[in-house]
Parts: sequence; C-alpha cells; structure tokens
Amino acid sequence: MSVNELLQLDNVAKSFGSTVALEPTSLSIEDGSFVAIVGPSGCGKSTLFNVIAGLLKPDSGEVHVADQVVTGTSGHVGYMLQKDLLMPWRTVEDNITMAARLTRGVTPEDRAEARRVAHQYGLGEFLRHYPHALSGGMRQRVAFMRTLVTRHPLLLLDEPFGALDAQTRLEMQQWLLQVWKEAQRTVLFITHDVDESIFLSDRVLVMSPRPGRIIADFANPLERPRSLDVLTDLRFVELKSQILHLLHGDS
Amino acid sequence: MKIRSTGALALASSLAAGSLAMLSLGGGASAASVTNVTFAYDFPGPDFELIPLVVAQDQGFFTRAGLNVKVVFPPDTSTTTKLLVTGAANIGFITTTDMGVAVNAGAPVLSIGNYTMSNNWALFAKPGVALSANNLKSELEGKKIFSYGDTWTESMLPFVLKKAGLTDKQVDIVTDPTGQDFKFLLDGKVNIATNTSNYEVAGFDTSGLKGKEPTLLGTAVGAPNIPIWVYATSKSYAKSNPKTVSAFMSAVKKGTLWAIANPAKAAVEFDKLYPKSGYTNAYNLDGWKLTIPFMANSSGQYFTQTSAQWATMSKALKSIKLISSVPSPSTYYTNKFLP
Amino acid sequence: MDSNSQDDSVSTVNLDSATASRGLGGFTRSRRRAVLRNVGIPILSIALLLLLWQAIVVVFHVAPYIAPRPLAAIQSVTDNWGALWPLVLGTVRETIYGFVCGTILGIGLGVVMAKAPFLHRMVYPVLVLSQGVPIIALGAPIVLILGFGIAPKVVIVAWIVFFPVTVNVVAGLSHVDQDLLNLARVYGASKWRTFFLIEIPASTTPLFAGLKIGATYAVTGAIIGELVSPSGAGGSLALYQEHANTNFNVAGVYGTTMVMTAIGISWFLLIVASEVVATPWQRRTVARRSLLHREPDVDLTSTGH
Repeated sequence: MSVNELLQLDNVAKSFGSTVALEPTSLSIEDGSFVAIVGPSGCGKSTLFNVIAGLLKPDSGEVHVADQVVTGTSGHVGYMLQKDLLMPWRTVEDNITMAARLTRGVTPEDRAEARRVAHQYGLGEFLRHYPHALSGGMRQRVAFMRTLVTRHPLLLLDEPFGALDAQTRLEMQQWLLQVWKEAQRTVLFITHDVDESIFLSDRVLVMSPRPGRIIADFANPLERPRSLDVLTDLRFVELKSQILHLLHGDS
Repeated sequence: MKIRSTGALALASSLAAGSLAMLSLGGGASAASVTNVTFAYDFPGPDFELIPLVVAQDQGFFTRAGLNVKVVFPPDTSTTTKLLVTGAANIGFITTTDMGVAVNAGAPVLSIGNYTMSNNWALFAKPGVALSANNLKSELEGKKIFSYGDTWTESMLPFVLKKAGLTDKQVDIVTDPTGQDFKFLLDGKVNIATNTSNYEVAGFDTSGLKGKEPTLLGTAVGAPNIPIWVYATSKSYAKSNPKTVSAFMSAVKKGTLWAIANPAKAAVEFDKLYPKSGYTNAYNLDGWKLTIPFMANSSGQYFTQTSAQWATMSKALKSIKLISSVPSPSTYYTNKFLP
Repeated sequence: MDSNSQDDSVSTVNLDSATASRGLGGFTRSRRRAVLRNVGIPILSIALLLLLWQAIVVVFHVAPYIAPRPLAAIQSVTDNWGALWPLVLGTVRETIYGFVCGTILGIGLGVVMAKAPFLHRMVYPVLVLSQGVPIIALGAPIVLILGFGIAPKVVIVAWIVFFPVTVNVVAGLSHVDQDLLNLARVYGASKWRTFFLIEIPASTTPLFAGLKIGATYAVTGAIIGELVSPSGAGGSLALYQEHANTNFNVAGVYGTTMVMTAIGISWFLLIVASEVVATPWQRRTVARRSLLHREPDVDLTSTGH
C-alpha cells in the first residue's frame, strides 16, 4: 500500500440474499483526490458507500482508511446524502456542529470552527437561522459544512446535489470545488449526472448493476482550476461519450 | 333527595335503566275519560317508597279514578323539581327541603300532601361503635361523616354539628352523590353514615346485622322534626287540573292504606312491576314496614300538611343560609286536593 | 417536517421574509396584528356568544330557575369567589398531578413500545382496553382502593391523559427519518445520544399533539373524578356545582360550569404556550440569541454569495 493512498478496499463484497449488490471489489483512492462514481440505479454505489462508512458489514474483504482496518466500524468518514438531513429544531450553527454533539459534546472550538466555515462560505449571517428559512441550495451547503467540520480526511458525498435545480446545481458544483481545494480533503462523489462527474473529479469510476461492480476507471485529463468553459472542451466531450457508451451500451 | 342505600344496591344498572326508563302503569285502561298523568319519582330507580303508587296501579285504584299514570325516573335526585316546573312531569315526589330551595329560587311548585309525617333521618355507626346523644361532641369530632350532598342532608347536618358544639371544619364530611354510604361504613371508610332510618336499617337487616346498628335519630340531636317527603306539582298544573290532582291523591291514599294493611302482598306487587329494581324482596318488605310508622301523624291522619311544618322548615333553611328569605307557609302547600 | 425542500422558490421566499423580519418596524407591526388576530377574535366571539345567550333568555322570557342570564351566572362566581377559589385550586392541582403522571407514563410506555416491538404487541391491546372502560364505572373501585383524597382524581386524569401521549410518542419515534439515524451511526454516535439529540426532538411535534389532546380532556377527567369519587374535607368544584344544582341555584350551576370551562381552556392554552416555547423552530426563522453562546453580529449588507 502506497503512503499517499487514503482509502483502500480489498476484495470487498456484499450480497443481500441472492442479490449480489457488490461483487468483490478492490479500489485505492489517493489522498487529496476527488473521485466521482457514476452508474445507473442498482449498480451498488450506495452499498459501496455504506460499506466504506461502516453502516454495512461486507460479506468479505477489508476496508482500510489511512492504513487502519475499519471494516464494519463507523466514525471515520464524513457522509452526505441527497437529502440534507438537517435537524429542523437546530439552528444552522448547531446543525454544522452536529457530529461533535452526537459523539463527544460541542466545544467552543467546534463552535468557532463552525462559524469560521460558515462565514468563509457565505452563510455567516444565517448561523442563527433555522433550516426551514433557507433555500435548498443553502441547506445543502450547511449539510456539506456539517460534513466538513467532522475533520475526517475522507468525505463520502452521495448525490448531494441531486435534488437541486440545474442552475443551483451548477453554482453548488463550483462552490464545492472551491471548498475542496481550500479544505484539502479527499472526496468520493456519487452522481448519476455524467457532466457533474467529469466537471468535479480527478478520476471517474463507472459502475454497472447485476451484479454491482466497477467496470471502468478513467483518469480525468482536464486541468484545474476549471471554469464552465471545460463543459465544451473536446477532452470533456470525449470522456463523456466514453462513459455514456459504457452506461448505455450499444444504444 | 338521595337517601337510598343497601349493600346489594345495583346503582349503576338502575342508573342506566332509570334515566330514560318510562314504565306505564296505565295497563289496559282505554276508556274515553282516561287522563294521562306523568309522575316523577325522586330517585333514578324504583325502590320501596314507590309501593303506594305500585299498589294504586296494581289494585286498579288509578284506573277507577280515570287516570293513566306513567312513572318516570330522573337522571339525578335534583331534577324532579325541574321536571315539574318545566311541565315534563305533572306530579312528583320530592323532599320538603327541595320545596324550600325551589320556592326560594322562584320556581312555582306546590306541595299537595305529605308522604311521611316526621323526620326519621339519623346518624349510623358501624356495629359495635358507641353512638349516643350524651357524648355527641367526642363521637363526631374529627370523624369522617358521610353525606349524599343533597339538600336534605345539607340542611340537617348543620343542626347536629351545632348541637355538638362543632364547626364543619372540625369534622370531615365525605360527600358522595353515588350513595355508597353503607359500603363505606362497613369498610371503615367513613365513621358515621347519614340516612333515613327506613333505608339504612333495612340495609343492616338484610346484611345479617339486624338490630346491631348504632343509631342516633337526628331529631334527638338538634335536627328539626319536619316531614321529609311530599307529593308536589306545579302551581299551573294544580290550577288547570284540580280534578286530576284530587283523583290522583285519592287513589294514592287508597294504595297507601292497602299497602299498610297488606305489606307482604304490596312488596310482591312491587317486585312484579319492577323485577329488575336491584333489590331483594326481603329488603323491600323490610324497608316498607320500616316506613309505615312514619306515614300517619299522632292524630292518625295521612298526607295532611300543617303551616307549622313549613314554617319550621323554612326557618331552619334560613338559619343555615340555604334560602334567603322565609315566605308565608301557604306559599309552599295546599291540603285542598286531599280526600 | 420535510427536511428536503424540493421547491427552491418557496424556500427562497421564506428566506426573504426571514431577512425582512429582522427589520424592526415590520416585525412589531406584523406582531401586533398577529396578537389582535389571535387574541382579539376569540374574545370577540366569546362576547358575542354571551350576548346571544342574554338575548335568548330575555326575548323568550326564560325563567331564571330554568336558565340564568350570563351576568347572573358571572355574578354567582364573583360573589362566591372566596368559597370557589380553594376548590378551583383543588381542581387545578388534580389536573396538574394527573397530567404530569399521565404524561410521564405516556412517554415511558411510548418509548418502550417504540423500542420493543414485542412489548408493543403485548401492551397495545391492554391500552385500547383501558380506554374502553367507562371512567364513571371506575369510580367505586378506585375509591375503595385509594380513599377520598386527591389520589382517585389524579388516577382518573392520568388514565385519560396517558393514552394519546403514548400513541403519539410511538408514532413520532417510529417515523424518525431512518437516513438521519444512519447519518448519526456513520458519525459513530451512541444510542443514547442519538435518542436524546435526534429521536426525542424529532418526536416533539407528535408528542405535543398528544399532550394537547390530553390537555383538552384533563380537566374533564378531574371533574369526573370529583363526581365519581367523594371528596373529604373541603369538597370539590364538581360537588359545589352539585350542591348548587340540588339547591336550585341555577346561576351557580352555570357559573361553576363557566369556571370549569375557564380552567379547561387555560390548561389547554398553557400546553399550547409550552409548545411554542419548546419548539421555537416551528414559528421563528431565526433563533433567539441565547446568553450562553454569543457570536459576533454580522453586517447584513455584506452577504457572502
């Protein structure tokens, strides 16, 4: 195992009854990278995430995070879903510090960090707001900040922008890239949007269902920083067509 | 008036059946001259004090008087007077103190005849417990005294306490309109029960405690000696239907005298008409026999009211502030419908 | 509450109004109107009801011993306030004790039933059975067991209150977003912290729904308790009314009914008010500043996006 690999899966497999949700899968994710996973529904993306996060115990194989075996245990990743899962009874600030509250209690440092992050990423004046007062995009930003302040180097984002409208989603993608660059974290990002996977990532994994498995692993040739112009870049279009071909077969 | 009790009393069932139950006593009467009379009893279910009416029906005294009498039972003991003033019932059975508070409130009710002639309300203790007029204060002080919370008990208790030299703060008055006095007394939940002797003694008798009940008659410890129950009607009904009222009282008198002469048969007739009263024949017969001695005055008269009894009643209620003024006795009663 | 708004335009409107509400003038004006609407209209409707009552009694010449005029009923209360007040306190005490006992029992049973499906199946039929028992029929046995004091009334109030609380707590705990619970697991949260920080707060709305149902019946329960179980020294509000009734004091009967109603409404409003205090997020867009943790005020003009 190389020193700069943050996450390593060794032949991790998971079945539910007779359904193979995830074939034996091995995978290495480099520290600091942004890896996108695309695939149709039922391809085992979420099972893969749940195994990494420790919500599911794999039938076989091992999960290593930062050279530690964490198979079947939790508390070592940041995790974010399409649903923002903000607690309506908590303010923005209290939602951001939720992980600390749930595990060890909130310290003044946690609060200071939550405020700093919120101010840095445009939610400074909404710290005392309740979630219902925020727009969908803002709520996802709060959910992401909550994931960020866990200080875990590995963040699992499961279609975080899937419920947003196209305009807001574009804004959020650019915002995420900025935060990722500044926060220096490793991101595993599930999406069904091929454009999104290419725009954001260093590497795109393509998954296929029945049985769930990784069928392709593309290095993203686009250099950073990226503007919206890359969407029309030839290399972008080429990669997109390869991925689409894999996803939709001969059609 | 709620002075009813027995260990075997099925109050819940009689409540359920009695609030709406209307039992026709009119039978086969179908002559053109028949007058319908609705009679309201004072209790939610039938018991032995209804025997004179039962006999008047069963022996045909009502039918021969041209009356078709329907007996109704009120949802609670304070409603009978209201049934009379609203016209829902024509003639009813209430207490003299009910008359007192109703007239004081301006309700046009009129008493048309006594049921009993004297006050047999009394205090009772558990068998074996001393109860005498001599040590009244020590026997009542700090004790739990049962009250039905009705006007009669509320009117009588203050006189007893006054006689004992106690205030109502020095005793614990347990008020229970559902009437479990006998049960509470035997269970030791209360020290003193209050009730009329015909009901409470019948309860002791039929519970195998005959003659063992420590009794203290209210009139021996300060309570005024006034009749307890009366037949009453509204002033407007009395004015518009004098013949009906007279015929009713006449038939009731025949029923009363017959039941006094034939108590056992009368009790059987009661059971026949009210097989689900919740009482045993032994209790009904015993209770009725215990009622009889109070029905005639010292001159052997039945039903006859006096101005003195009403004056005593109203002065007594005024003295305990239950009524605001003492009206003329004639406001309460008339004897003109008596046979 | 849907934590995942799909409709950004609506949320954005919320956001705008949230920002606007911080402007002081608009806030107080809308607040004053809300107070007028929420307090003024109910008072007006009650006044109209009393007026209608007075009109019916006067126009149809209803005798005072059948139905009193509202003023006479109110006067019967004010004239006898010295005697009534201790009884009111007694009923309030029975209501509070019974409500608290019923609530604790209700929450406890609700939690146990939500957490243990086996016990849920065991206990639920018994709960339903308990609510099928006519409370009136409980009077005699409860008195023989518990005597004449406050205990039987408290038991009857608790008996009435616990059921809606239990049902709503079970429903609330069973419907906590499973994804949120999974997220807590991913973070490595303990069961206890998850329970107190997520499951309990997520169930506050259904809990208060149950408490409000319980509150509407609690005072009725106390009055039923006073009717079916005798009261020792001092009496009770229900007996006071019973006495007024037997003594042909019709104004007193109506007046006592008004007092009982006032206690019932006050208790309900108190529960509603405690819900408002306990769930600020239901009505406020911005949390009140707490004294414990202050953050620097932010200049509204420099929005960061």
